[in-house]
Amino acid sequence: MGPAITIAIKDLALRMRDRSVFIVGLIAPLALAFIFNLVFGGAFGADELSLDVGVVVEDEGAAGEGLLGALRDMDSSGTLALTEFTSLSEAEEQVEEGTVGAVIHVPAGFSDAVAVNADTAVEVIGNVDAPTTTDIAAAIAREFAAGVRRTNLAVTTALSTGAVPPGDVAATIGDAASAAPLLGVGDIETESRQLNTATYFVAGLSIFFLFFIAGLGVTSMLEERREGTLFRLMAAPIRRRSIVLGKSLTSVVIGLVSMIVLVIASGIIMGAEWGPPLGVAMMVTSAVLAVVGVMTLVGGFAKTPEQAGNLQSIVAVTFGMLGGTFVPVAEGEGLMSSLRFVTPNGWFMRGLGDIASGDAMAALPSMGILLAMAAVTGGLGLALVRKVVHA
Amino acid sequence: MEAILQARGLKKRFGDLEAVRGVDLTIAPGETYGLLGPNGAGKTTSISMIGGLLERDGGEVVVNGAQMTTTSLAPKADIGLVPQDIAIYPDLTARENLRFFGRLYGVRGLELDRRSDEVLEVIGLTDRADDRASDFSGGMKRRLNIGIGLFHKPMLLILDEPTVGVDPQSRNAILESVEHLSDEGMAVLYTTHYMEEAERLCDRVGIIDQGEVKAEGTRRELVQLVGQLDRIRVSIAGSADGAIAGIRSLGGVSDVVSADGTIEILATNASEVLAPTLAAITTAGAAVHSVTIDEPDLEAVFLHLTGKALRD
Repeated sequence: MGPAITIAIKDLALRMRDRSVFIVGLIAPLALAFIFNLVFGGAFGADELSLDVGVVVEDEGAAGEGLLGALRDMDSSGTLALTEFTSLSEAEEQVEEGTVGAVIHVPAGFSDAVAVNADTAVEVIGNVDAPTTTDIAAAIAREFAAGVRRTNLAVTTALSTGAVPPGDVAATIGDAASAAPLLGVGDIETESRQLNTATYFVAGLSIFFLFFIAGLGVTSMLEERREGTLFRLMAAPIRRRSIVLGKSLTSVVIGLVSMIVLVIASGIIMGAEWGPPLGVAMMVTSAVLAVVGVMTLVGGFAKTPEQAGNLQSIVAVTFGMLGGTFVPVAEGEGLMSSLRFVTPNGWFMRGLGDIASGDAMAALPSMGILLAMAAVTGGLGLALVRKVVHA
Repeated sequence: MEAILQARGLKKRFGDLEAVRGVDLTIAPGETYGLLGPNGAGKTTSISMIGGLLERDGGEVVVNGAQMTTTSLAPKADIGLVPQDIAIYPDLTARENLRFFGRLYGVRGLELDRRSDEVLEVIGLTDRADDRASDFSGGMKRRLNIGIGLFHKPMLLILDEPTVGVDPQSRNAILESVEHLSDEGMAVLYTTHYMEEAERLCDRVGIIDQGEVKAEGTRRELVQLVGQLDRIRVSIAGSADGAIAGIRSLGGVSDVVSADGTIEILATNASEVLAPTLAAITTAGAAVHSVTIDEPDLEAVFLHLTGKALRD
């Protein structure tokens, strides 16, 4: 271990003198997160997941009341900022002006139409500049509509079996709606597990730039081979795996220091809220190991430092996009949302979300998967990289 | 005394190219051995196998009694390898470069400090010890390159063409450093394609070409091996006819020709016959104006052995 540490200390000294590591590891992620937060932070509040959502309920039945009640509850809990409009035209005006990001419109006669299975729909009007708010408003509307359909189905079933006299239909619908809320805060639990905006962007960008830092180990080994110093290391009375270990150690140390500084700095400067320090430290360590493993594997396919740099950049950007560095893919649906779990980024963000929600135990699977990624990719990567030190 | 290095039957092939074809080398403690050959002769490949950097296809290397392989640790500690290309960290200072490699060779604590000062003195970089190597001239970098190799006081210092691309002043400083180390008893394996360096530094020289050591020995042994003779030209005033027969009868003299006030003598060793030759000429009544001695050099030996010049 001694020679590996000696090599790591030397590499760290060199990296400190090459100030690019500060730019890539600290300044760039923090600055970009700050900018992203300024640009996109308007869709969210400063600290909580809060959306500027409007509602126009023209329906006078139980369904309309149910939605309004649920939205008011969300407003009270701070999940969203609700503005109630009396007319659709006024609401559309406010959406156009950007006062609210989206409006949910329940048309007149919605409850009655649902009761007799007539065509009707809940409408969402969104501002093009507030796609996230619009998406979430649409998700709320879908959940509401699904709830109404469930209620309707229950009532229809009751009527068809003769359990409810036809004259009591309206009362039965009202009872059903109040007995099982159409929409509640509990329905958006998954959203409440998300990080706040500042934390989200710092976390996403820090792991994105971590990929570039983590690649330094393999890249520097290829650089040393080109510069001739690797042969000098190989001529020394040390085991060749010490060289590889020393290089990997450098990546891990720089990655950890970078991430820890970012966590602390973002908390002080941007008000990022990461959750319990121990849980965050464990998640950060798992992510650093996973990313170092992935970058070691990717770099292992390269013959020159330039090749390694290019391959690593491609992987970093691809994983960054899939993993939700630039856009919150977790809120989407379908393939993109699933693909994030191929990346360390996705698991890192998910684990941090769990920790931030106060449920650190829920983050254990994410940590486990990150460590498994580290073991598999790191093991394969080291096997590939060892060929560099075997002439 | 047991040899510090014994390399027997070294072989290495790169694809279709047979780079080294059965090289044998033996170096005694304190001896300076020169491996002289043109670029591509197999010098660097041979020392890479000797230094445990390169897997060999055949043969064996024994350093200070221990088998050398690419995974050996003890024999590597006995060797200081100075690669042909400058292999230093430009962003570290001279002292930091030395200390880093010193640590890898197990030098620790106060010895690390003491040895750094000593080596910086030997390589003439004491005044620039704490400057980054990137600010050094090519010659200074070369000297630091050598300093790293000798930091841990190896029993065998391997220098691979250490003066390539170096200005004459730095070159001379490097050669003086090698002479100094040799005087202190360090065994040196010195590869070069500069005949003058091999002649100046080396106790024995191996002529290598196309992956084979064609011949080895002292300069004189090599010269004699290929039948080359020293040529002494003595310019005289007066007649020395009476001396010719006497000179011809001296041991080691193979021919004597006298014409136009010049006597030309071919001998196996000029230094051995010069004094009696001059004595015979003056005894015969002639006055000696000048003496010129042409000793055949290793260039001529190389040409004879390989059919081509060293710098071809």
